[in-house]
Amino acid sequence: MKNLLNKLIFILILLPLSIFAQNSVSGSVTDANTAMPIPGANVIVKGTTNGTTTDFDGNYTINGIENGDVITFSYVGYQLSVVTFTGQATLNSSLSEDTAVLGEVLLIGYGSVNKRDATGSVTQITTEDFNNGNIVTAENLINGRAAGVTVNTSGAPGSGSTIRIRGGSSLSASNDPLIVIDGLPITNDNAGGSRSILAGLNPADIESFNILKDASATAIYGSRASNGVIIINTKRGSSKTSVQYDVNFGYNTITDQIDVFNASEFRNVIEEQFPIAGSNTNAQLQARLGNSDTNWQDEIFRDVFSVNHNLSIRGAIADVLPIRFSTGFNRQPGNIETSEFERSNFSLALNPKLFEDHLKINVNANYSREDNRFADTGQIGAAARFNPTQAVYDPTNPFGGFFQYLNADGTKIAETPGNPVASLLQRRNAGNVDRFYGNVEFDYKLHFFPEMRAVVNVGYDRSFGEGSDVTDPTSINGFDAGSTINDIQFNNISSYTSLRKNKNLNAYLVYTKALGDFNLEATGGYDYQVFERNDFTTNNTNDPASNPPRLTEPIDVVLASFFGRLNIDFQKKYLLTLTYRRDGSSRFIDEFRFANFPAAGFAWKISEEFAENSTLSNLKLRLGYGITGQQEINQGALFNIYQSSISTSQNVSQYIFGDTPIATALPGYRNQSIKWEETTQYNVGLDFGLFEDRISGSVDGFYKESKDLLISAPIADGANFTNQGFQNIGNLTAKGVEVSLNTDVIKTENVNWNISYNATVIDREITKLAQGSDIEIGGRSGGTGGTIQVHREGQNPNSFYVYQQLYDTAGNPIEGAFRDLDGNGIINSNDRYIRGNPDADVTMGFRSDLKVKNFDFSFALRASVGNEVYNNIASANAYYSLINNQGFPSNVPTSVTETGFVSQDAQIINSDIYVEDGSFLRMDNVTLGYTIRNAFNANANLRFYTGCQNVFVLSDYSGLDPEIPGNSGIDNNIYPRPRTYLVGASLSF
Amino acid sequence: MKIYKNMFKISSISLACLALLTATSCLDDLDTEPIDPTVVTAGQFLTDENSALQLLAGVYSNFTLPSQTGPTDSNISGLDAGSSTFSRTMWNLQELSTDEAVWSYENDPGIPDLQRNVWNDSNEFISGMFGRNALSLTLANDFLRSSEGLSINNIDVMRAEARFLRALAYYYFMDLYGKAPFVTELDPVDPTFQPPVAERQQLFDYIESEINEILPSLSAIGQGPYARADQGAAYMLLAKIYLNAEVYIGENRYSECVAACNSLINSGAYTLNPNYAFNFTSDNNLSNEIILGLPSDGLLSQSFGSTTIILNGEVGSIEGNGDEIGVNGFGGAMRLRKQISEILEVPAAGDRNTLKTAGRTISVTSIADRDSGYTHAKYKNITSQGVPGSDRTFADTDFPLFRYADVLLMYAEAVKRGGTGGSESQAVQFINDLRNRANAPTIGATELTLLFLIDERGRELFWEGHRRQDLIRFGRFTGGTYNWEWKGDTPNGSSIPDFLKIYPIPARSLATNPNLTQNTGY
Repeated sequence: MKNLLNKLIFILILLPLSIFAQNSVSGSVTDANTAMPIPGANVIVKGTTNGTTTDFDGNYTINGIENGDVITFSYVGYQLSVVTFTGQATLNSSLSEDTAVLGEVLLIGYGSVNKRDATGSVTQITTEDFNNGNIVTAENLINGRAAGVTVNTSGAPGSGSTIRIRGGSSLSASNDPLIVIDGLPITNDNAGGSRSILAGLNPADIESFNILKDASATAIYGSRASNGVIIINTKRGSSKTSVQYDVNFGYNTITDQIDVFNASEFRNVIEEQFPIAGSNTNAQLQARLGNSDTNWQDEIFRDVFSVNHNLSIRGAIADVLPIRFSTGFNRQPGNIETSEFERSNFSLALNPKLFEDHLKINVNANYSREDNRFADTGQIGAAARFNPTQAVYDPTNPFGGFFQYLNADGTKIAETPGNPVASLLQRRNAGNVDRFYGNVEFDYKLHFFPEMRAVVNVGYDRSFGEGSDVTDPTSINGFDAGSTINDIQFNNISSYTSLRKNKNLNAYLVYTKALGDFNLEATGGYDYQVFERNDFTTNNTNDPASNPPRLTEPIDVVLASFFGRLNIDFQKKYLLTLTYRRDGSSRFIDEFRFANFPAAGFAWKISEEFAENSTLSNLKLRLGYGITGQQEINQGALFNIYQSSISTSQNVSQYIFGDTPIATALPGYRNQSIKWEETTQYNVGLDFGLFEDRISGSVDGFYKESKDLLISAPIADGANFTNQGFQNIGNLTAKGVEVSLNTDVIKTENVNWNISYNATVIDREITKLAQGSDIEIGGRSGGTGGTIQVHREGQNPNSFYVYQQLYDTAGNPIEGAFRDLDGNGIINSNDRYIRGNPDADVTMGFRSDLKVKNFDFSFALRASVGNEVYNNIASANAYYSLINNQGFPSNVPTSVTETGFVSQDAQIINSDIYVEDGSFLRMDNVTLGYTIRNAFNANANLRFYTGCQNVFVLSDYSGLDPEIPGNSGIDNNIYPRPRTYLVGASLSF
Repeated sequence: MKIYKNMFKISSISLACLALLTATSCLDDLDTEPIDPTVVTAGQFLTDENSALQLLAGVYSNFTLPSQTGPTDSNISGLDAGSSTFSRTMWNLQELSTDEAVWSYENDPGIPDLQRNVWNDSNEFISGMFGRNALSLTLANDFLRSSEGLSINNIDVMRAEARFLRALAYYYFMDLYGKAPFVTELDPVDPTFQPPVAERQQLFDYIESEINEILPSLSAIGQGPYARADQGAAYMLLAKIYLNAEVYIGENRYSECVAACNSLINSGAYTLNPNYAFNFTSDNNLSNEIILGLPSDGLLSQSFGSTTIILNGEVGSIEGNGDEIGVNGFGGAMRLRKQISEILEVPAAGDRNTLKTAGRTISVTSIADRDSGYTHAKYKNITSQGVPGSDRTFADTDFPLFRYADVLLMYAEAVKRGGTGGSESQAVQFINDLRNRANAPTIGATELTLLFLIDERGRELFWEGHRRQDLIRFGRFTGGTYNWEWKGDTPNGSSIPDFLKIYPIPARSLATNPNLTQNTGY
């Protein structure tokens, strides 16, 4: 595919035409390395349209040639060879491989295209552009590197990320982009016991990310492409033997904590504030104060060392079987006590080419093992709240020697705050996942019809996770069997297994033809994929009130699709791409099962219109249009929404007739007209390069409109088996501009300085909802079942929906006083208004790479402007009355001294005082390295480096970190991101 | 070389064929069927009496469970799972808006405006009840639709029960909202369907005719299995709508109320439990006084609604009396307002007074102050023999939706309000039966007044989900005749407008069904 496409490109590059046909010449074209013939190589008389391609034995004949004509021999992936014709009868040429050319090839799904000829908005990020530092999960290699792409990862080791391309096109359906690894589309549904879908990937195995952003590029993936596509290409074998070993060590530390009172401040606050209206007496609290001074957050957080080893060997077995083998080991303890992530990777790539390169086989086989221990992030909030006057340990306490509140007789009290250190240390929630994924691709150029290639790709991805969650027998959080609270204490024990399977087959034909000034490439094929999963859990086997062990087997998801793509160009200047995909999904009923996704992309290489121009080296205008879809709803459901089905109840949800428990049977929500969500996207882009691309970049403007949104929306009461369910109702638009710039500021033999910058402006708006009615979402803590956000027509999705706080003349907030926005004299839910949303208006990425002789120095910055954050830590906790936590003295954030708020209710918790500007500038990474070249032989390089990750965050936000994982904008119990100091070395030879 | 070429010619042709073949056969794979054994497609489910019972249990369960998948899941949206249960939303709407209870944690959405009588059409409980109750309609309709014409043992009884449950749901719509989406088994299951709306008169007529139609098919009075509706439950529902007919449709139907009560009383199927408290213990399913109970089981039938929320709410902040109640408690989640405490404190309450007063003020001086206002220990998760229930959170105690004592009180009230077919002396006797059972002083004929009856209903039936309906019938809910603490959002209580007698149609329901119109005043 690559080869054919590039062949076309080269033919066209060399067009300017005039023919003086006199003589003829013939010969063969071979690989300089292997001496094997190269079929399909281009042989062109320079400055004319006279040319041909070699046959499958590498032979050619060219007519109408004059003495002095310059003949060029070219083939994709090889350096150009130029020979002047001086009347030779035979003219043979041997071409050498050109790695630089390969780097320019973009992967676009079922094929590739030379970057210069791309019509869509595609960003490629390859190894040299990857982020530095302690990169645990693959997506963090590209965080901040591509315009229009945001990656948001929590601080938990190996944790998943929220990846958004151009903001997300859905409301209730998935907003995750489709990720394709070596041609295998993967699911976003990871197995139990695993941290995330990409946690099993070794970042060191990745060669490139190709991010398809506009619909003219993504539509080839049809129904799953609305949120963009990320194609991950892994490293392959090569003919040269090389070995690379990398190791790095990190020191990870938490830099900030929730500000709460220390022990003496806490005693004072109780003295000052209690007794207060709405609370128990002072004496009850005083009785439960101790004599210690404990910072509970210090006790649950820790500094940890992480280590990362990677070894890869590339080469060719017997010179014919290019192979790459790699292994990696990553150990990343978490900064919350007991949290652990460990990963081992083994990866094998075989890339043989057979029958004079007519048959290329690519085999990727990867195995990864993830070992996790999960810490309950709820303990972060618990630690902030726990009584600072008590010590962590109490040797006399029967519950494992930790301090716990007890009755006077030493027995357990129901419903008390528990010691957060004990809750962490006395629980082991661990899981491990074995994952195998890989694919085999056969790419066969037909011997009898070399313009045609047939490609068959078979992919398989299987994860099996197992784990258990066990509390220590002495833990106070154990289960009380028997009738009174201190009857018999059992530990909680449960275990689970989890299986995910994903099987893919795709097969397609590619036909390439040059017709005069036109070049044509046609691709057509079929793609079939099935996702299977099941989960088994024992539940708490010591608790008779919990469900008995149960295997859950959701319905399979099957996708079957036909796709086609036509690339036509005229004189290499005008490029047109037409794509079409017809997708079928098992999620929908016959009638709505299939949908068509067409797209068109057009590019005009304006710079080709001019004679060689040293200032303007590249200028290309791109126009794109396309329709993509979204069908990913009800992940893991037991049945499809369109089916009428009956479910029987679990053990704990039976109904009792007389003395007989009956497993209830209920029909499930049914919508027979459920179908695809559709996104239409328009894109205008301009790629430019100045001074031989010393300065290069692109600007893209896009407009997306999603209609028939799959929204879990209210249903008329009495019309179905629930009052809210998935329907195709609603429209959402997103518009934005992306800019990226790349400059080689200095490019000399000893000094190289490269700067890259990208910025994205996005604005999303809901234009239609079912019956125009609001959907309240965004669960927040504090009270049961409260929400803080709303989907509303005319507004950004997830807008914060709050009461307007009133302030006194001194500027202090008046507790419980809100503006009566509807003026009816009563403050109720009708008085809420919209204040901001968690989406950034502008995101930016900046990176500087400086190489001075053997030193390298780089840093990366990322910024987000205009995103709001709801400080749920403060809104749920910062009230004086909460110091009395059902009779137990509990800490509250010191921000309570600023508001002076005493009591929490359902209105004050939704006050706009808690919605803050979350704009930030973060330095993700700074790295300094030194390379010893020719370390112990001519090919060996040894590089040492040191760096710091998460160097600083500048923000006005009063909480810890305004970058909220999941992009929810609701800050609560967030696993903090550590700062990492890193040293490492890499050796290659 | 040439050999290879031919080989590849052949193999690539066969490859193309193979691809085509797989392509067509794989399209059939798009028809997927449930794999999990707990799910089948609807047509395959209903095959025998057992599966019919399961489906019927599903309809019943909607009156007390939030879902089929445990207490923290809900099959309706808009409020948390525990609050979404019928038993809890109904209880909250009938009790928290009155003198009988306050919920201490006002950071729970929907609580403050409900218990301070300043609710609007976005209130979570008002919305949740509408959605949950409508689900009972669609579930009952689905049962009727799918069991139509099947020859299964006892299917006629079960179909009659489904119709009873549908009528019961319409009764709560009529009482709480004054109207309902009107759907029967003839209507489609379709998210875009917008049901027509029935107002009180139509609902009243429909409930009355449905009950009369199904009466012959239901199990004989008192003869149905426990927790299943028999003719007793049907007469009870009739008695309820007739007693409140003046409120619902402006008609005097007290004589019919007396008749329905007489059917229950004369059947001899029910007797007062000698011990009042045993109607509220974890073995109250054995009490012969319960006409229709909503079952609960700490191990097998769990929810955060029904008695679980009541029991855990009873455990006091000062008392920490989890062992007495039989659950761990929520740290003082509920208390009584002064006015109901005063009614319960008089000697007339007898054993029915279980108030906890030590260290407490009788007034709820602050809703957040869990030490102000009395608590009580009416419900217990402990058997009549003192054996604790099976779980410390989830109750074994059943919720007494319909109780025989109420029949006696309704009889007395209907007679007092002019209903024929009964006598005041009989009424006095019934009241004294209740009094004697509670070891409270009996009354004389002159003491039987309407004002006496509303208080006596408070003493006998408090926290059983009747209070709002009763206060409205006695003209004491809205206006300023009877004020309780925090009524109208003032500490000592103040007059509230009349339109609050009917809850608003929830905003989300109005938006999804243009056939609904908002109730006056909202």
